[in-house]
Amino acid sequence: MTKKNSKSLFDDEQTLIKKLIAGDQTAFEYIVSEHHNIMLSIARAIVGEAFADEVVQEAWISAIRALPKFEGRSKLKTWLLHIVSNGAKSRVRRENRMVSLDEGWESVPADRFDQIGHRLDNVYPWEEATPEALLANEQLQSIIEETFQKLPAHQRAVLTMYDMEGIKMDEICNILDISASNVRVLLHRARTTLHHSIEKYQDKV
Amino acid sequence: MYQCKDITEEVNNYIEGGLPFTKRIGLFFHFIMCSCCRNYLQQIRSTISVITVSQPKEKSSADLKALAKQLHDMCDEHEH
Repeated sequence: MTKKNSKSLFDDEQTLIKKLIAGDQTAFEYIVSEHHNIMLSIARAIVGEAFADEVVQEAWISAIRALPKFEGRSKLKTWLLHIVSNGAKSRVRRENRMVSLDEGWESVPADRFDQIGHRLDNVYPWEEATPEALLANEQLQSIIEETFQKLPAHQRAVLTMYDMEGIKMDEICNILDISASNVRVLLHRARTTLHHSIEKYQDKV
Repeated sequence: MYQCKDITEEVNNYIEGGLPFTKRIGLFFHFIMCSCCRNYLQQIRSTISVITVSQPKEKSSADLKALAKQLHDMCDEHEH
């Protein structure tokens, strides 16, 4: 069964939950393929690379065990994200680890502005402005992928949750246990870094 | 009076609507006057659309099929 087919099959969350409780193998494959990536992203942001896989694995096991008691007060995805987030936070406490929010930041270079902060260079509109047109180019797609992988874990997690998954700002604050202003800073840094990469590519073509 | 450098620092807050009214208006007037910053704003908006459409993923060596099977088997054991 293709991912697209299973998606339409499990569009209704209640059906998915029933199938999971009934032990439907396809439902397990679907839920893991849909949510594993974002769970990993959150675990890496909170606890760091070394323990993230283990934390996600434990979160999946806790979630599946608790599934019959899931009351549907939140979306299944939100519930899963809170399970992994809580697991990662307790692991952080146990390991006494802190993950820095400040790593990996490259602002717009200062030499692009004069003393009063006015731009010295010209900024032109991108020729291929639609995402589809930009992504039609395989080289650019791999540049985006590479740049994303190089972002610090906190930035990847915020970008994944906010720009790709459409999770609200206050929910992200709860999941990552950071302030709204920190979420905004991380989002700004992640987008700016990706913008730099696309801009460099655009300058070459 | 806001400068181009302020735009690069606040552009995402401007897009997300997280700025006080007076600052928002100040930046808005800068956009009216400065074509470079208008283009920069358009580029950042395009960047966001590209991220949303391209959906780059976390690198992972996990075998998701095997994980799904493990969870499924665990569920089976729990029932019996």
